[in-house]
Amino acid sequence: MQQQSEAAAAPSSAWAAGKGSALMSLRDVYKQFPSGRQTVRAVDGVSLDVLQGETLGLVGESGCGKSTLGRVVTQLQPATAGSIFFEGKDLAALHGEDLRQMRRRVQMIFQDPYGSLNPRMTVGNIIGEPLRNFGLAHGKERDRQVQEIMRVCGLNPNFNNRYPHEFSGGQRQRIGIARSLILRPNFIVADEPISALDVSIQAQIINLLEQLQDDFNLTYLFIAHDLSVVRHLSDRVAVMYLGVIVEVANSLELYDNPLHPYTTALLQSIPVPDPVIEKDRTPIILSGEIPSPINPPSACRFHTRCPIAQPICSEVRPELLDYGNGHLAACHFAGKLQGSLAEKVAEESVAEIRAAIVADEPGGVDGATPVTA
Amino acid sequence: MTTITTGLNMGPPIAPPGSPEATDYSIAPEQVSLWQDAWRRFRRNKLSMLGIFVFAVVLITALVSIFWTPYSLYQQGLADITDPLSRSHPFGVDSSGRDVLSYIMKGALVAIEVGVLSAVITSLVGISAGLLAGYFRGWVDSLVSGITYIGYGIPNLLIAFLILFIFQRQSLLNVIIALSVTSWMDMARLVRGQTLALREREYVEAARATGTKDFAIMVRHVLPNALGPIIVQATFLIPQAILFEAFLSFLGFGLPSPDPSWGAMVSTGLADRFLAYHTMIVPSIALLVTLMAVNFIGDGLRDALDPRLKR
Repeated sequence: MQQQSEAAAAPSSAWAAGKGSALMSLRDVYKQFPSGRQTVRAVDGVSLDVLQGETLGLVGESGCGKSTLGRVVTQLQPATAGSIFFEGKDLAALHGEDLRQMRRRVQMIFQDPYGSLNPRMTVGNIIGEPLRNFGLAHGKERDRQVQEIMRVCGLNPNFNNRYPHEFSGGQRQRIGIARSLILRPNFIVADEPISALDVSIQAQIINLLEQLQDDFNLTYLFIAHDLSVVRHLSDRVAVMYLGVIVEVANSLELYDNPLHPYTTALLQSIPVPDPVIEKDRTPIILSGEIPSPINPPSACRFHTRCPIAQPICSEVRPELLDYGNGHLAACHFAGKLQGSLAEKVAEESVAEIRAAIVADEPGGVDGATPVTA
Repeated sequence: MTTITTGLNMGPPIAPPGSPEATDYSIAPEQVSLWQDAWRRFRRNKLSMLGIFVFAVVLITALVSIFWTPYSLYQQGLADITDPLSRSHPFGVDSSGRDVLSYIMKGALVAIEVGVLSAVITSLVGISAGLLAGYFRGWVDSLVSGITYIGYGIPNLLIAFLILFIFQRQSLLNVIIALSVTSWMDMARLVRGQTLALREREYVEAARATGTKDFAIMVRHVLPNALGPIIVQATFLIPQAILFEAFLSFLGFGLPSPDPSWGAMVSTGLADRFLAYHTMIVPSIALLVTLMAVNFIGDGLRDALDPRLKR
């Protein structure tokens, strides 16, 4: 990236840990929604770098603000505060036509393959609409480009005159992917793109996304609540809880050595596809519901449910600190869970899960173990 | 690229993307367009089909009357109003001795003109206002909603009188304008509501994400998906307009006197009721049958275009 901005470059070293340069840099991003007299703090001070060419997985429970963050990144919803640097521009400061032009570079794949396609438009028109919006191709040339991208996405190009309802869920998701690719963007936010699909189709779509990343040199922000899918796909993973990022690490590192107790608990909630191990395993079960983002817990957001919470956790908000090798965690007792409370049961089971997942590597991924959070 | 198989035994491994066997194209169901489906449901409704037939007859009558009527509208003294109905005058003659059938035929033309034209104008105004209000919300919505709320508080008849008074002339166009001014508000409210719902759909968000401009979103994404209820509403506007015009004419505020309006005919027929009944009854029946036919069509369309509303 030749046009990296000074503002984005300056603080990025700690986050990026020397590997690659940040393509998208979020700094203290807040998103709040009014709810009557109260305020829903959906995204509450997120700083995050997505590096050029990587896939950053963003995981968390339902309602933790991860989809909202994705919509703020693509500027479908304006941020309440904070900066989003992309190719030297602060997206949060763009308006009108500048913002529209930015959309050629940043695209989104939506969660619901049924709801995200206009039922009254043909597939060819849906996929070709971005070209039309920017006046990039007309008539036959547009048709040609649409058919080419359909072929690339594994769709029959001759079906461009059909309507979305004539396609299956997986095919529709391919249509959505084709639409987001036709402008040749750099950066794609994928908002749970496979969670609405059959398990068998999920693998196809994941393969397609990986293939496209290589072919089109894409950078993904991949939002999911399914840790096993994210593990397969992501270079790095960010874990989100109640509007804040609690841990960011290299994908393998995060799964082998989670530092934040919440991450440990999430990982342990993945069922092991082996009945013998599963029977003896005693995972950490988080008690209670995720607290309301209207009135989130003080200091550390997780202290109300954390198995190792101490008094300091409700008094001092833990910073997101680097524990070496770009492994960031926001916890006063980072890495302690495995050593103390979880020692007898959890550590063994974590190791066992890991063993099981590693042993299962060629086949055991994505969706076969639908998971969690 | 490695092939991913799921942990469960799901049959043969899944092919990598891009290869022809990656997607099973046969899954796509048979091609039935949404409109074909609606037409199939509409056809099943016997009353609506009858309505279509009757309306077609009225339409043809109106078209024929442009070129030919049994007698000229200006021929008076053809017979006496008290004469029994006869072959040469199947609907008799009025008190001036003019042929009622000829008048009914021309009246059909007027009714259709008033009905269709004001439905079209009303729809255009109402759709535009509703789309803008629902899509942009904010002050546009406040303006449109404010006007509708005030408009609902004023009787339609009063507004119509006011407009006819302002133009100082009774003509077909002015009657249509008066009708449109009073009836666009229903359409605006309907479209506004639809737009408010549709603008939250994910495909509208997707359209914005791909850089679609506001106007294109309204025309390409919102309007086509609201078309069903709009068509139904527009269909019901036709009989409303016909009835309102007849009512205005009955009161003497409709079309100027030589223009044949069914409403005016009922009015004069009522005055002549001591001489004969047919001059009152025939235009009343014409009016009734036409209104019912269009209403039946509207009912059928509503059921066909929005299956969820079915009783």
